[in-house]
Amino acid sequence: MIKIENLEKVYKTEEVETTALNGINLHVAAGEFVSIMGPSGCGKSTLLNVMGLLDKPESGSYKFIDTELLTLNDRERSNFRKKNMGFVFQNFNLIDELTVFENIELPLIYNKIPAAERKQLVNEIIERMNIVNRSGHFPQQLSGGQQQRVAVARALVTKPKLVLADEPTGNLDSSHGNEVMELLCELNETGTTIVMVTHSSHDASFSNRIINLKDGHVISEKINKSRNEELI
Amino acid sequence: MFRLNLKIALRNLWRNRGITSINVGGLAIALAAFILVILYFTYETSFDKTNPNYNNIYVVGRIEPDFKTNYTSPPFAKAIKQHLPEVENAGITKRGFFEFSMKNGKNTLFAKNFMQADYNAAKILDLKPTGGLEKPPGNVERLSYLSKENMRALFPDKTDNKPEIVGMGASNSGITSKINGSITNNLHSNITFDGISIGNEIGKGENYGYNNYTTYIQVKPGTDVANLEQKITDLYRKELLKGETDQKTIAEIKGVSTFLDPLANLHLRPKAGNDAPYKILIALSILGILILVIACINFTNLSIAQATKRAKEVGIKKVMGAYRFQLTAQFLVEIFIQCFVATILGLTLAELSLPYFNNLFQVNLSIWTTENDLCWQLPLILCVITLIAGTYPALVLSGFKPALVLKGNFSTSKQSSWLRNGLLVFQFSIAVIFIIGLFIINSQLKYMRSEDLGFTANQVVYIKNISMFNKPETFAPVRDKILKIPGIKSATVATDIPDGAEGGANGYTFEGVKSSLDFIDVDFDYFETLDIKLKEGRFFSKSFPADTTNGAVVNESTVAKYGMKNPVGKTIRGCNIDYKIVGVVKDFKAQGFESAVKPTIYSIKNPCGNYKTQIMVKIEGNKMSSALAALKAQWLQINPKDGEDFRYEFLDDLYGKLFKKQEQLQSVFFGAALLTIFIAVLGLFAFAKYITNGRIKEIAVRKILGASDIQIFSLINSSFFIMVLIANVISWPLAYVITKRWLETFAYRIDLPILPFISSALITILLTVITVSIQARKAVKANPVDALKYE
Ligand SMILES: Nc1ncnc2c1ncn2[C@@H]1O[C@H](COP(=O)(O)OP(=O)(O)O)[C@@H](O)[C@H]1O
Ligand SMILES: [Mg+2]
Repeated sequence: MIKIENLEKVYKTEEVETTALNGINLHVAAGEFVSIMGPSGCGKSTLLNVMGLLDKPESGSYKFIDTELLTLNDRERSNFRKKNMGFVFQNFNLIDELTVFENIELPLIYNKIPAAERKQLVNEIIERMNIVNRSGHFPQQLSGGQQQRVAVARALVTKPKLVLADEPTGNLDSSHGNEVMELLCELNETGTTIVMVTHSSHDASFSNRIINLKDGHVISEKINKSRNEELI
Repeated sequence: MFRLNLKIALRNLWRNRGITSINVGGLAIALAAFILVILYFTYETSFDKTNPNYNNIYVVGRIEPDFKTNYTSPPFAKAIKQHLPEVENAGITKRGFFEFSMKNGKNTLFAKNFMQADYNAAKILDLKPTGGLEKPPGNVERLSYLSKENMRALFPDKTDNKPEIVGMGASNSGITSKINGSITNNLHSNITFDGISIGNEIGKGENYGYNNYTTYIQVKPGTDVANLEQKITDLYRKELLKGETDQKTIAEIKGVSTFLDPLANLHLRPKAGNDAPYKILIALSILGILILVIACINFTNLSIAQATKRAKEVGIKKVMGAYRFQLTAQFLVEIFIQCFVATILGLTLAELSLPYFNNLFQVNLSIWTTENDLCWQLPLILCVITLIAGTYPALVLSGFKPALVLKGNFSTSKQSSWLRNGLLVFQFSIAVIFIIGLFIINSQLKYMRSEDLGFTANQVVYIKNISMFNKPETFAPVRDKILKIPGIKSATVATDIPDGAEGGANGYTFEGVKSSLDFIDVDFDYFETLDIKLKEGRFFSKSFPADTTNGAVVNESTVAKYGMKNPVGKTIRGCNIDYKIVGVVKDFKAQGFESAVKPTIYSIKNPCGNYKTQIMVKIEGNKMSSALAALKAQWLQINPKDGEDFRYEFLDDLYGKLFKKQEQLQSVFFGAALLTIFIAVLGLFAFAKYITNGRIKEIAVRKILGASDIQIFSLINSSFFIMVLIANVISWPLAYVITKRWLETFAYRIDLPILPFISSALITILLTVITVSIQARKAVKANPVDALKYE
């Protein structure tokens, strides 16, 4: 589904130039769950941001089911993003002024879903995530694990083809982290493609394939046999 | 989507309610000031605008070699109407030159200005007697009207509009007059009056020398006014030249011309007159705009300062597919809502402060009338301030890159700090200019109040009177009777009192040099009553009978003008009289502080002069009330021709009116300085709060590393301190130029002092340090461990 070729991204600041991505080639098939690992600063987040159309690379190509995405203008990128992608961040990034319900509702609003349908979709997902009694709360009133569930719910509510997760368990203890990983697996089982950045090999073990980055290069790729066997 | 955005906005505003209320409150105050200025501006620029021919009406004035005047003579209007087809109508008015009383039984009215107008002028000026403007039946007969207010004063129970008979002057005069009805006296017009009499023709038989009238013309729409002006000048010269043979006179006539002054100019900047009201109006408008701009800057500044808090929201929304313009619009709407609230508050504040404003500017403005155009101006202002205050923050906020802001350690403080600092410096610069201005206006006013005027207006009572006392013999018995009253030291009569009024001017020749001098005709004891200082020779004295025929006293300026040496005893010729100079007096500031003392000649006899009617008496301070009571009781016996109504004013009050304009300016500057400082400090307060909040972690770390409280206070204060210093340095030269130019409008003024400049710096720095330190205190006093626990 995703075909990335020769992706290069350079950050220029006054003093230094940092090559964050240095000729990345990457294919992701539909329905796959891919983990990206590597030392801090190797370009994982940058790669995810480029995949999520939040950042523009200097050169390369990025095809999403035969559509070249790097030539799109801002507006087309926005449109593409809101129709096809969902995001989960390490630091949750919920809007503090909105309740759980409203946070989850927000992407539906930008997708111009009618109010009645929105309500139904949000309620469904809230139930699935087991946060029904929290729907009127504000983010600060929730634990980190709960906040991340809301963030996952928000990423899923539009039924995106691709979910991008940047260290989704980074700020969580292991039991909350596991809950989130299980959610992602469930999601993957229903057919959603997932690309996840992580530091934890435990988390990576949930995925089909692990890609190792270093200094902006893909240095190795490993099929996660246990998980694949499980699937078959 | 709107609903959710609104929720985010409201919850955000509520969470930052401290800063929000400072922001909205500051804007509301500025708006209130601005609304008052707009009301005043609209009022001042719309005099006579209700006249249906507003744009086609002009005053015809004369330009003589050394002055311009609106006073013209009766035949001129007729000639214009007769010869110039583009002039639709032409008419004349004459203002009442003295105050007289009108009586109906016990009700008395003092009419200061009982005007005359011909029917044409009444039509041009859209005068509206109750029941409509009527054409007077014959050429002699007049229709007289009293203003509605005055009619009510004389005939409180009158309900119909039938003519009435009123007594004129003292009740023993036996003169009565017919009043045909009442008339609207529009105070929002250049033509105001206590009453008016309208005739088909006024000033009949008066020729081109009688320049006591104002000529109004109404031109046909689309007339080329410059061209008409030239034609009228040609016509005027042609009329004056009729029958002239004297070459010198003919040459003089060729030197005069005329001008047309639109009705629209008359109130604020008449061509023949000064444009000070216009300048004040412009200054006031600039002040109003500046204050509003400062408040908008506050808004911009704080919105950007708060941007970090909103950055995450922007990032998330963009991740979810929001377009930039949606976010821009969202922030603009948010700011619009705040501006809207500020407008409502501002309107309320304006309403509350309107009475003070009306009192200060002697107007009667109101917010709740349709006349004042606020109904379209306010929404416009609301949109403009939303754009000024909101565009930049909205663009900055909506421009955040999601990949950057969602990383979690995003900070905007670097990005726009130069702009925020620049705006803060701008605000303080303006505040500094106002402070300096205020100090300097205060000093000049203090100087004017305490400076030696050269005469003493204190305890001099000016008594109103319309009997003429041109010959000393006629005033002598009056003076004798007045002086019998205990406490009265002296009494005199003159053509003018020193209340800033301009006297007449005439040509005088001294040792072959002819020059123009102001003249004032006086009686004995004039100089003594006003306590004017003698320099050489003597004052007028009854022991020198010749004083009443050809004695003259001149002032120092006259001596200087002619370069006289030992003037006493020498002859100065004017009005066909060889005057003998008997004394020289020191200059005294009869005209106030704005113009230099004019070269003036004082004489008892002056056939070219005016009527001596202005009585002045000097009364001992501790016998003031008894003496006034006695004067009132005996006035009919003392001054039988004009007696009965004893009316007086204190000369120092009259003279004090010359300062009125400056006092207004002082009040305005006081208000403006206070407002700008207040708003700037409000902004600083919120800004400092934001900055310290952003540095709580840094402060905590520094404290753990051993920084003292003082070190942290100075750390936080230093950048603000520098900004305020820069603001002072920027505004000093500006304030210097502005105040210097203002001071130059005075002939008698203080030297530009340095102290205001230093004081303004001290005041602003002190305010800054206090404001910032109040905010810094919280961060300094907080337990560093608590501060670091979060995140
Ligand atoms: N906005 C930026 N400006 C400059 N350099 C950046 C920026 N974002 C990331 N980098 C640099 O790019 C490299 C890759 O960063 P990132 O993708 O965030 O790494 P990580 O693999 O830890 O997620 C790092 O060296 C980082 O310093
Ligand atoms: Mg990262």
